[in-house]
Amino acid sequence: MSVAPHHPPGREAPGTFGPEPQPLSLLVNGEVHTALADPATTLVEFLRDALGLTGTKIGCDRGACSACTVWIDGEVAASCMTLALDVRERSITTIEGLSREGELHPVQRAFIEHDALQCGFCTPGMVMSCAQLVDSNPDCTLEDVKTAISGHLCRCGTYPNIFKATLAAAEMTRAAGKKK
Amino acid sequence: MSSDSLEQRTLSAGIVGDALKQVTRNVPRGEPPAWPTNAELQVVGKDVKRMDALDKVTGRARYTFDVQLPGMLYARTLNSTVPHARIKSIDTSQAEKSPGVRAVHVLERLLQAAELRDPGEEANEPYPVIRFAGQPIAAVAATSARAAEAALDLIRVEYEPIDHVTELEDAMQATSPPVFPGPTEHHATAGGGGAAKGLPQKGNLRGPSKGGSRGDLERGFKEADVVVEGEYRTQVQTHTPLEPHGVVADWRDDELTIYASTQHVLSVRDEAADIFQLPKEKIRAISDYTGGGFGAKYGIGNYGTLAIHLSRKARAPVRLVLDRREEHVSVGNRPSSLQRLKIGAKRDGSLTAIELRSFGTGGVAAGAGVGSCHHSMYSCPNVSIEHYDVFTNAGPCAAFRGPGQTQGIFAFEQAIDAVAARLGMDPIALRDKIDTRDADDVRARAAERRIGAEKIGWSRRRASGSDTGPIKRGIGMAQSMWPYIVNSYTTCEIRIQGDGTVEAFCGTQDIGTGTRTVFAQVVAEELGLRAEDVRVHVGDSRFPPGPPSGGSRVTSSLTPAARNAAHAAARDIASRVAPLLNANADDLIFRNGRIERRDDSKTSLGFAEALRRAGIETLVHRGDRRDDYEGYARKAGELNISPHAIGGVQFAEVCVDTQTGAVKVERVVAVHDCGRPINPKLVESQIFGGVIQGVSYALYEDRRLDGPTGVQLNANIDQYKIVGSRETPQIEVHLIELLGGQSSTDARGVAEPANVATAAAIANAFFNATGKRIYTLPMTPANVLAALRAE
Amino acid sequence: MRSFEWVDAKSVDEAASLLATTSATAPVIAKAGGMDLLDLMKEGIVQPARIVNLKSIPSLGDVRLEMSGMQLGALVTLAQIERHNGIRSHYRALAEAAFHAATPQVRNAATIGGNLLQRPRCWYFRNEHFHRIAEADHSEHQHHAIFENQQTVMVHASTLATPLVAYEASVHLTLGKGSSRTVALKDFLLPPSMQRDRDTIIADGEILTQITVPPIQPGTRCAYHKQTERDSYDWPICDVAVVLQMNADVVASAKIVLGWVAPVPRRAVESEEILVGRRIDELSASEAAAAAVRSATPLPKNAYKVPILEAVIKRTILAAR
Repeated sequence: MSVAPHHPPGREAPGTFGPEPQPLSLLVNGEVHTALADPATTLVEFLRDALGLTGTKIGCDRGACSACTVWIDGEVAASCMTLALDVRERSITTIEGLSREGELHPVQRAFIEHDALQCGFCTPGMVMSCAQLVDSNPDCTLEDVKTAISGHLCRCGTYPNIFKATLAAAEMTRAAGKKK
Repeated sequence: MSSDSLEQRTLSAGIVGDALKQVTRNVPRGEPPAWPTNAELQVVGKDVKRMDALDKVTGRARYTFDVQLPGMLYARTLNSTVPHARIKSIDTSQAEKSPGVRAVHVLERLLQAAELRDPGEEANEPYPVIRFAGQPIAAVAATSARAAEAALDLIRVEYEPIDHVTELEDAMQATSPPVFPGPTEHHATAGGGGAAKGLPQKGNLRGPSKGGSRGDLERGFKEADVVVEGEYRTQVQTHTPLEPHGVVADWRDDELTIYASTQHVLSVRDEAADIFQLPKEKIRAISDYTGGGFGAKYGIGNYGTLAIHLSRKARAPVRLVLDRREEHVSVGNRPSSLQRLKIGAKRDGSLTAIELRSFGTGGVAAGAGVGSCHHSMYSCPNVSIEHYDVFTNAGPCAAFRGPGQTQGIFAFEQAIDAVAARLGMDPIALRDKIDTRDADDVRARAAERRIGAEKIGWSRRRASGSDTGPIKRGIGMAQSMWPYIVNSYTTCEIRIQGDGTVEAFCGTQDIGTGTRTVFAQVVAEELGLRAEDVRVHVGDSRFPPGPPSGGSRVTSSLTPAARNAAHAAARDIASRVAPLLNANADDLIFRNGRIERRDDSKTSLGFAEALRRAGIETLVHRGDRRDDYEGYARKAGELNISPHAIGGVQFAEVCVDTQTGAVKVERVVAVHDCGRPINPKLVESQIFGGVIQGVSYALYEDRRLDGPTGVQLNANIDQYKIVGSRETPQIEVHLIELLGGQSSTDARGVAEPANVATAAAIANAFFNATGKRIYTLPMTPANVLAALRAE
Repeated sequence: MRSFEWVDAKSVDEAASLLATTSATAPVIAKAGGMDLLDLMKEGIVQPARIVNLKSIPSLGDVRLEMSGMQLGALVTLAQIERHNGIRSHYRALAEAAFHAATPQVRNAATIGGNLLQRPRCWYFRNEHFHRIAEADHSEHQHHAIFENQQTVMVHASTLATPLVAYEASVHLTLGKGSSRTVALKDFLLPPSMQRDRDTIIADGEILTQITVPPIQPGTRCAYHKQTERDSYDWPICDVAVVLQMNADVVASAKIVLGWVAPVPRRAVESEEILVGRRIDELSASEAAAAAVRSATPLPKNAYKVPILEAVIKRTILAAR
């Protein structure tokens, strides 16, 4: 199958890619990374296979389980349903980039404290959603937490502890905010 | 293992805080002394934080899904597009030439399914007969997943379709298309599974199995004052672990390393050894982390077989991980059931007769029974059980958290509830009357009923259907019973270095259950250390053999072995350190990171310092799981089954919208026993998980097949519906500490008991809310509205 | 997914001319948020030779609320709609529908244009297997239409369409180079079909650029409800949008739209007629709801939807007062 070329072949046309793999640069966890990728490469494939960042998981590959959640410009996104080319100008944060200078995010600490995980496969994505909530709304309620993670499947059934951990992290964040 | 001589010891047994009594047991010499109650222990019985939590919350935990080896190839599987067919030919030549392809393999035999008793009936088939849509046929390994998928499209399969059947009640008919052309067996493999041998089979009906039948049923019903009868239906449920089944197989020269998402590394090794005729010592199976299993992840399966063949052919590591569709369809499910249950009782509640005729479909696999509660839970002299497996052209079943019992309790505990209603008896009072065997679970449940009734507010419970208006609320309860199983083999090894490093090894696995943590806690308790000071290693078949993460048996099998190994190490250290403290070895205790004299705690040394001063370089000690001191009721393969079971009682409060059929489970109170809880926080998490899976099974989950094509329509996560954040009820867990005087830790499991009673409790609450009984799961709006309209 | 050529369109005209080159053997497909497109591609139902990225076009992502009504650029996301204070105040049913759609992650990416152009969620449609065999007979039709279901039983998947039809929205389409047309949303959507590659009247080379909604008059009350099996996120059993124009406490005019029960969003005209001139109360709401379902023609496995729809219509009418 062929399409009429958008630009004469052989000339590097701006804004045209593929179908063969080409170098693609993305800003991930504050650093620019370049790797070969074809246009059909999803963001999660780029992160895991091209960059070796295997913290972000794939549970369903259809945007229905949210295990693949990363931040794009600080907002939660399903990285399995995002094409890598779509985030060229954006800033990506993965679970590997959540802790700052070795300091765990309050949500990560609270998850450990409250046993908000079991098998752990849903955990990276879950942490990203809960951390985004706590960072953007430290006054969040239980309803807000349930909404924030309404797209997440945790088959092991840790939701009750996730609720407790996230609300505790929000409390810690509020307290830290007051101290400033 | 030599059998040591036994000595009589007096141990405490009973519910801590309730009624502990002294019992006499015959205990192998050398067993550590019994522990006191948890309140008096330092580390065991405490909410120690899960040891792998840090790795999991940072994304550092590496699952099989994450394994990336140099030169690794990506494999994808070709699956059948038809539900029932002979394969006339398979042409892989174009696929083999496809860019990036390094190996192709066609499956020679289908694992996990029943097989013909007389293989001659299909001996002339060049390839395994296709018996379900989605059945794996072949696989391709290529340099990228994209290249492998492109190559799959080039494989040409010529099918000769055969009539198929997907519905249980259609398949039961004598006129149904047969799934198998003759009688079948389903042998257990090193990967597990299996069904009773030699049962008769007519068409798709295999059975009956009558295990548990006793007495004279006819007389039993004659003696009854009331008879309650009902027909219950439950659905097929798929395990849906978040990490799909998968392996990375690395065949190098004559050694095979398999990274597997598994609940039992030894089963991966052993099944690979069987199939590939390799010595076990040439195979290493590794699973650092497994993203959920719930019973489906044993052995290597068809996908593992394909990956290993591909790795051998390509001489490279091969990653084969199922996609979500394959995960739903081809690697296991909880079978459906159709249960005709009839119970006779006297006016005072005592049961006189239980009759169960049940059918279940596990697709192309056998093993669709509905549990043992009918003959083992309550006192009843006359019991008749007949169960038939019914084959259909659908994916094979596999054990799923409380296999059989979850389906059985849904019907049984509702039928008992119905007896209570007929007699005008409180459901709890009826259980008090009939739950009377001389066993730990019976005593536990008695306490659990009391505690749970108080916590849920059972006295608030009104007559059924009391609420006027469309929104109706109710409270219900149900009991669970699960065998207390000890694995027939478990060995732990402890290595202590002169610098104080303590490592503990066992070839069991932590699939999210917290095994690493309880392992560390037990060792730490014995050595007077903190759990964090013990480095635990699991998930490698090269470690001393450990139990599978299934049957709720890890904690009961592992912890005594761990304690015994640690105890031996402590005795060894004590004998070498004693001279430094002017004491006898028996006078030293290990506490708070120190080794001190019992009579003078100030005379002590720090743990590491003591090792150094005693000139210890490395100590290695092993400990085995000895048999329970009271013995077992029976043994079945790897399973040693105690005469005592594990109990559990759950109470549910539901809100039913009778106009929309929406059911909301608002609150669950779950009261459980698990022997001595090693880590109450982790036990609570397990119970949260079991309850939530039970709510999900009761309300939402349903594998749906398209009849004409046999294709699963909801092989995804949006239309196969599982409890999410907004469906999670408020769950309160209460644990009782139950000492059994059975082992050096007295710990038992809890994972399956947590799941078994939930659907029944919800259904009984539904009855209390509406006055109507739920005979069909799941409780979708369609099924609920139908139930409300029924007579 | 198979690879494809990707082009960042810089303008609507450029995108339109690229899309006009599409053919059956070499499809050229527009991508906005990509939520529906990626699903269709992963299921093997759609295999573009070239994808035209619309997100590189600067002007399509604006929300404008004025006296003359509301204009939503086609690239406005569901998250923006859900959070926009003006929409939450003045077009509350739309904000509700956006809030209850999909997951937070999907809402951050999914656009209103893509949402209206999405293909059905029917589990036969979403499985490439049933595109290859002659015709899926839809024997498992639990989630399918209970009205107008003689020819097709599939329902349009967009839940935002339900309130937008109630608000009498229109869509703006252009073939580029100055051509454009405006179509009422109710006329834009077609009964879903597996024989077509689209379920709207959008033409090859045409781009949906904007959705416009008439201004809200004073005295407007509205409500939206999406009834699901699971609350966390789920496709609806049915969804209902009610927009009432009140004259004091009497209904002057009513728009009641039912979603996921007919191939396209259905105006419950019988219900609307009952309400006009009356107060909203238990009685009028009950009568209106009963009238709406009287003409239902359920199939053997989806009759359960009828009483549920009736209850939801009644409750949504009462919620709008």
